[in-house]
Amino acid sequence: MSVLRTKGIGKVYHSKGNISYRALEDIDLNIEAGEFVGVMGPSGSGKTTLLNLLATIDRPTSGELEINGVQPGKLSDKKLALFRRRELGFVFQDFNLLDTMTIKENIILPLVLEGAAPRVIEEKLKPLAILLNIEGILDKRTYEVSGGQKQRAAIARAIIHQPALVLADELTGNLDSKAAKDVMDALKDMNERLRATVLMVTHDPFSASYCERIVFIKDGKLFSEIRRGTNRQAFFQQILDALSVLGGNFDDVPFARA
Amino acid sequence: MTFRSLALSNMKGNWRSYSAFFLSCVFSVLIFYMYSSFIFHPDVVNGHIEQAAKVRRGMMFCLYIIGIFSFLFVLYSNSAFLKTRKQEFGLLSLFGMTKAQLRKLVIYESIALALLSIGVGIGLGMLFSKLFFMALSVFLKVSDPIPFAVPLKSLGITGIGFFVLFVAIAVLTSLRIGKVELVELFKAGRKPKGELLFSPWLVGLALVSLGSGYTMALLLDSYNFFYMAILILVTVTIGTYFLFTQFSVLLIRFLQKRHSVFYNRTNMVVLSQLGYKLKDNARILFMVSIMSAVILTASGTFYLMQVSAKKQIFQYYPYSIAVLEKGLQSHAVIDPDKMKATLRSEGFPVTDEKIVSVASVEAVKLTRSNGHNIDYSPGTMMISVSDYNRLAAAQGKKKLHLKPDTVAMPGSFNPPIERFQGTVNGKAFDYKVASVLSDSVMNQTDMNWMTVIMDDGNYKQMLAGVPENDQLVWYGYEVKDWENAGPALKKLDVSKDLVGQMDRHRADSFANMKETSSLTLFIGLFISLLFFIASGSLIYFKMFTELQEDQAQFNALKRIGMTKQEIRKITVTQIGIIFYLPCLIGTIHALFAMKALDGLMASSVWLYSLVIIGIFVVMQTIYFLLASMSYTKGLNRGTASA
Repeated sequence: MSVLRTKGIGKVYHSKGNISYRALEDIDLNIEAGEFVGVMGPSGSGKTTLLNLLATIDRPTSGELEINGVQPGKLSDKKLALFRRRELGFVFQDFNLLDTMTIKENIILPLVLEGAAPRVIEEKLKPLAILLNIEGILDKRTYEVSGGQKQRAAIARAIIHQPALVLADELTGNLDSKAAKDVMDALKDMNERLRATVLMVTHDPFSASYCERIVFIKDGKLFSEIRRGTNRQAFFQQILDALSVLGGNFDDVPFARA
Repeated sequence: MTFRSLALSNMKGNWRSYSAFFLSCVFSVLIFYMYSSFIFHPDVVNGHIEQAAKVRRGMMFCLYIIGIFSFLFVLYSNSAFLKTRKQEFGLLSLFGMTKAQLRKLVIYESIALALLSIGVGIGLGMLFSKLFFMALSVFLKVSDPIPFAVPLKSLGITGIGFFVLFVAIAVLTSLRIGKVELVELFKAGRKPKGELLFSPWLVGLALVSLGSGYTMALLLDSYNFFYMAILILVTVTIGTYFLFTQFSVLLIRFLQKRHSVFYNRTNMVVLSQLGYKLKDNARILFMVSIMSAVILTASGTFYLMQVSAKKQIFQYYPYSIAVLEKGLQSHAVIDPDKMKATLRSEGFPVTDEKIVSVASVEAVKLTRSNGHNIDYSPGTMMISVSDYNRLAAAQGKKKLHLKPDTVAMPGSFNPPIERFQGTVNGKAFDYKVASVLSDSVMNQTDMNWMTVIMDDGNYKQMLAGVPENDQLVWYGYEVKDWENAGPALKKLDVSKDLVGQMDRHRADSFANMKETSSLTLFIGLFISLLFFIASGSLIYFKMFTELQEDQAQFNALKRIGMTKQEIRKITVTQIGIIFYLPCLIGTIHALFAMKALDGLMASSVWLYSLVIIGIFVVMQTIYFLLASMSYTKGLNRGTASA
């Protein structure tokens, strides 16, 4: 079953003086349930624009987008927000956790907003927290825990309401290599054990090596696609090769980590 | 780029965060200017406006209050404003700006802002001063409208005074910048606010203080007023402070543990944010609560004073006109028929006439309960108890019952009087004082400083031998529209040497009382308004210093799919709590204060208090609506770009 389907979506930005900028062009993308897909590309290739379109916080100027059988472009603002909250889960580079709340409150927020019963909330939280190894920090505040813990909490929040698709944006960008590894392992676990469908945008070949399939984009267009075999190390090398073919500037995230 | 232009561009670029501070300054200048322009108005100074002379001192007093108030208000606003800019200062000093330069920058900015707000404040003040004069004319009953004027003296005082004030405050606050370490300046914005903690002892203290304060207010009477009032003030203030800083934490923690409440949709966000900001909010909420209590109590008290003053006037002058004459038909003081005719032609016809036979007492001797005797020389009269009851019934006062050989007399003696002796028409008597009176039913004249009530039988016996021409008679007249009858009453023709036997002071003293009390009411209401606007501004200011932080929060919420409606619900709930909670606490305080005053002055003003509270709530609601509207606007502007 396909969870995400785009057909020829594109985005053109218009600025003052009739200068238009084509950020994204003719993207066809199909993601099946349970897949773990990465999107890579050099700076300015349109990765963030693509993610914003998929996250429904921006609207495409052309093409069709369908998530879990729904065309978000046809929804009103309010329904769109509700759709985002029910069908999508987000993991951001800057964690996007609320300082005013404890880790636990942050995680259960999507369920609470939906009006789930307290008993159901506790039942869903507990196994997830154990799986992500954050049950010890649930009552702590965001500024009391490390970046890796924050990001794992963010993953828990993105998944607790069982969304159709989890979108991750440079989720290891703010982390050191140890924490990045923990977070990627956690995300992989979510994908494998809970059958969560994940789409991840990243610069980082190491993080990308956790994916099953990687789509490369360049200058706003699809460039190539590689699939992973059984060996992650080999896949990592494959990614580096693909990137060297792709060219462009990857300086904003250091390679040293890998 | 010169230093001055850096300061100016800082202000231009950061206008939104300056605007709240700027508006507070403009407001202070505006009010001050309006008041001073009345005090230094040429017509007031020259004495053209007669009524103004009386109120000038009151207005001066107000001006001092506004001055002190402005100082504190601007000081607070300024330090709150600088706090929001700590990070900016940290950045500037990281780039190598010295502390002296930083101070210079702050002072430059303050001078620019001061000049601007003084200019705008005085400009608006001129614009509104005519309106202010019109309101004053109504309160002071000035017939000709007070003309528009711009007194140079008030311009000078306002301009120079506020300039000095702003600069002094800028220097004061800029000194504080230098004392903080760079690292702290830098971290200021992101500093975690710490865990919500409370001490059970302090929560207990809050409840005990409030409870005891309220209890004392209920027990307040005129004997323990002075020390109790201070004690009540202290306990209630302490109680309120800990209510907001400690009890609130307990309450929020309790609610957070109640999952059925806490896990109910947006409640979680609201409660967490309230808890997160509690430390910062508690002090503001406390101050605003106390201010609200002051506003409500002050307006209530001024009204109560007016009510009790009116009551007192009726106590002293039960009738508009009272005459005491010798001889039943002599009409030596004034001829009733002529008087009635004159009054009717003046438009104040007599509506009620009471005639009471009175006996003059000589050689009065009073024996106190401790055995001491007093020779009482002022004119003393006696009337029969049935006459007393006749007047009392007409005035809605309590009836009196007396046994033979006993009397009732005014209770203004301490220690009390036990026996009342004297002679009537040469016959001596000695009666026991059976009861004391707090009410009088007749006006005083020169001949009846004291009126004693006695048994009907005794009275008849006493007057039996007195010829009609030697008997005394008291007349009481009520006229229509008595409040305005003062000038007409003064015109009544009374023979010069008997003028002391007529009393017609009620209308005049009522007019007098009304004038002073409407002025105190005006000043009271004005101070209340000042406090109201200031307390509203405190809240408003607080909200807007937090706007940026809130924007980040709401952006985060929006990204994970929170709808606009939910965000609005959260913000409006929070703003509502911040606006109405102090209002509620202040109202409760004020109600207890009014209950205490009620007992003290023995007159009920509940209806009036409720009206005042109602007005207050309505005004607060308007403020709330404005604030939440502009806040959501600001929030949307910030989140739309993200």
